[in-house]
Amino acid sequence: MQQDIQKDIIDTVNTALAEEFELDAEAMKPEAHLFNELGLDSLDAVDMVIVLEKAFGCKLRDEQAIREIRTLGDLYAFIETKRKELE
Amino acid sequence: MTEVPPPEAAPPAASRRLGPSALVMSAVVYPLLILQTLAFVLLAPIVLPLARLATGRPMDRIVRYFIRFYGQVWMVLIAPFTRFEKIDLALDRFPQPCIIVLNHRSLFDIFCMGALPFSNGGFALRSWPFRMFWYAPFMRLARYVDMESLGREEGLLRCRELLAEGISLMFFPEGHRSRDGRLGRFYSGAFKLAVETNTPIVPVCISGTDHLLPPGALLMAPTTIRLQALSAVDPSTFTGESGHVALRKTVKAAMAEALEKQR
Repeated sequence: MQQDIQKDIIDTVNTALAEEFELDAEAMKPEAHLFNELGLDSLDAVDMVIVLEKAFGCKLRDEQAIREIRTLGDLYAFIETKRKELE
Repeated sequence: MTEVPPPEAAPPAASRRLGPSALVMSAVVYPLLILQTLAFVLLAPIVLPLARLATGRPMDRIVRYFIRFYGQVWMVLIAPFTRFEKIDLALDRFPQPCIIVLNHRSLFDIFCMGALPFSNGGFALRSWPFRMFWYAPFMRLARYVDMESLGREEGLLRCRELLAEGISLMFFPEGHRSRDGRLGRFYSGAFKLAVETNTPIVPVCISGTDHLLPPGALLMAPTTIRLQALSAVDPSTFTGESGHVALRKTVKAAMAEALEKQR
């Protein structure tokens, strides 16, 4: 069950970001650095939050934790924690 | 909504051949460009207020006209070394106001906007062009939008205000100059703005400026610059939360196809 939830989160995050930012599916690994490897930048940061809020239906933009996210893995973990808080 | 296939990227631009003509062109055009810029900067405090007095038009409108004229003078300066091909660059291609999206290959792409058939257009740009102190005052007077410094919300708010006043906006959706001639990733800002404000997008394709002066190069090289306006894209059919993504894909595919044909 835990793995299903994680897979769901990973798939949703990957699909949303790949579509918004034209990312290659192959590059979307948990260890991939959002800025250094996936090529996102300061202009993308706000869009990333908006896209994820739409994908998961919850507010993320005021979270201090999201500012500390560096890799896709950090992002999956953040979303999972956020989901658990809302359950 | 029609699913759009991913655009085929253009192959890398052919390598530049720098011969004596490049040396002559650089030796002639760079000093003329400096002289032209000095003349415009020094004349501006006289010419701009006089033009405002004579025409009664707002200063930002006059400065946008002045900047376009600067681009036109530059095109005359490099004309002995460069051929300009304008394809469908007619006024009826540009609904007013519109959002123009351009591919980006060289510092001189922005100068080529002197070839547009209208002058009432501003740019939405990243921060670094605003750090060129000799251009920055004119960019600010013309109400160009510094998207990076203002932040997304404030930047798009300024863009919406300009569009509401009938001023067209130009974007380089790649954000950076292409290093290999291929279309890079497109940022979504222009497309979100088009969907939100129901403003038509006019894609304009530029090729040849990467031969004239690509990123990192110092010598200009003679070339042919092609500027092609594609058909305006109506954003009203791109609805839903991902409307801007579909619009972006459609525009990028059209630009990739046109750039491939220009080769």
